[in-house]
Amino acid sequence: MTSLAVTLRRTLRIRDAARPVTPFRLLGLSTERLLTIATITAIVLAWFVLTRFDLVNPLFLPAPAAVWDAFIRTASTGYQGSRLDQHLLASLERVLAGWSLACVVGIPLGFLMGLSTKIKAVFDPVIEFYRPLPPLGLYTLIVLWLGIGEESKVALLFLAALPPISISATEAVAGIDKRYLTAVQSLGATRGQLLRHVILPACLPGICTGMRISLGFTYSVLVAAEIVAATAGLGWMVWDAAKFLLSDVVIMGLIVLGLTGLVLDLLLRRLERALTPWRFI
Amino acid sequence: MIMTRTNRPRAAAMAGALGILLMCWTAAAHAADAPTSIRVGYVDLVNAQILAKVLHLTDKSVHVPVTWIKFGSGGDLNRAVAAGQIDFGGVGNPPATIGITRGLPYQGIFVLDELGPVESLVARSPIKSIKDLKGKTIATPFGSTSHYELIAALAGAGLNPADAKILDMDPPDAFAAWSRKDIDAAYIWEPVLGKMEASGGKILMDSGTMARHGYPTWDVGVVMTDFAAKYPAVVVNYLKAECQAIDYWHQHPKESAALIAKELNLTVAETTREMSGTYMIPCQRQLTAGYLGTPEHKGKFVGTLIATAKFLKAQNRLPGVKDDAVYAGFINPSFLVAAVKR
Repeated sequence: MTSLAVTLRRTLRIRDAARPVTPFRLLGLSTERLLTIATITAIVLAWFVLTRFDLVNPLFLPAPAAVWDAFIRTASTGYQGSRLDQHLLASLERVLAGWSLACVVGIPLGFLMGLSTKIKAVFDPVIEFYRPLPPLGLYTLIVLWLGIGEESKVALLFLAALPPISISATEAVAGIDKRYLTAVQSLGATRGQLLRHVILPACLPGICTGMRISLGFTYSVLVAAEIVAATAGLGWMVWDAAKFLLSDVVIMGLIVLGLTGLVLDLLLRRLERALTPWRFI
Repeated sequence: MIMTRTNRPRAAAMAGALGILLMCWTAAAHAADAPTSIRVGYVDLVNAQILAKVLHLTDKSVHVPVTWIKFGSGGDLNRAVAAGQIDFGGVGNPPATIGITRGLPYQGIFVLDELGPVESLVARSPIKSIKDLKGKTIATPFGSTSHYELIAALAGAGLNPADAKILDMDPPDAFAAWSRKDIDAAYIWEPVLGKMEASGGKILMDSGTMARHGYPTWDVGVVMTDFAAKYPAVVVNYLKAECQAIDYWHQHPKESAALIAKELNLTVAETTREMSGTYMIPCQRQLTAGYLGTPEHKGKFVGTLIATAKFLKAQNRLPGVKDDAVYAGFINPSFLVAAVKR
């Protein structure tokens, strides 16, 4: 094993050295990084220019300074009874509760569906049926069943989070190269060893990707989950501010939502690296 | 030219006549390029506008196709106005105040309705008075006339909004939550109000009483400012249809109830109940001091808008209150004056 790792590292170093230096390489940043920075700068600059010269109605696009004010105001005195960190915490709790529940249920379920076509035949139609339903439509029914408390909100987020996880787990298991299995079996591996040393590691990349997609999906359902009867939460704040045409709060809330979504994704990428290091060398 | 005392009024009259002539001429010139169709945003409330729709009074009067677009609440309609998706609409005084303060380009041109017991505060036992609502869960659609009345009613009983758990729910969601006993009370409108009362709810306060306590609520018909400037004759014709519908409401209550019930999928009994809780103001009366007033002397509606703005500001629902003249400028009775004259 060690010799393999050494060989790999060596080849990589050679490839690194062989990589041509692009003319755009500034301050040690790659072309891709520079392009990303340029895009963000262009968007923010356009925002400044459009609002500075009154080219757009501030109702549609408030100035960056107004959005910043809304941020400071919400972070210090709060919006309708809760400070920004309380809104953020309320939302994160819901999202992480729904998503972790979906991981706990979805990964074993996907595994089983990948291993047995009979189990897949039972669960697949249910998941495939509700998956494309618009979350708001689904939510009205969930509120009728579970009430207006946290249960219904977490349930909606769970339902949104489940399909990407279970489907990717199913695909990952079903997609394992059969030669791996027969090779290990011919060496006398038991069923337990087969699962632990071949199937699980082989599936991990697929499952990790599924978990990441799922978290992004859960996040995008957040506003819908907080529309009915919430009193705190980023999604609720955005929805409520829109009712009162407070576009500075709306844009601020969306930026906070986007940034926290990015941070969550970054954390998951770290986890992915830790769990499946062989994909990142 | 030196003006003597005697010919000054005559000159003024002549100038006035010239002005009117010019106005008529420009109006006629503009009327020639009439819009290909008009878009009317409405909220499915029981009021005479539904009659204007089902009796085709509006299309007959404006002579162009009319597209009716339904909205869940005045807040949703405000968003459509902001996006420039409608020409005419109707909003309650809180959404109107929010819209005016945030600079939405529309004008209030007639009184859609005045709200009475059609919107009420309903609670289940053992709640007997507004004071008992302390610590209870209350549902109301945020940003609506009901939300406004709820906060005012709580304040009247010495309660802050923070003393109760106030949740934002549209009427159907509120009824579902009420059925599951998730909420203890709601400030809500018909027909959900009637359903809650039928399932053990008790009325603690209604918008008619709130109006007498100094918190009137009404819905005002609006037109986009650009549209009104471009097609003044269409606006006048649109208002004529609305006035006919209001007269029909008063003259034929039974037929009105049947027509509205059919259009809104309600029973005739529900509709009759709602009609008795909603006040339709005949167009001539809308031009009196209690309502829009005249272009020279604007009526009480201006004061209500300013009071609503101050109230919403105190609730942190508005970033600031505009100058009184901005709210007075929103109320524009001139089209209604023309509509009732001819």
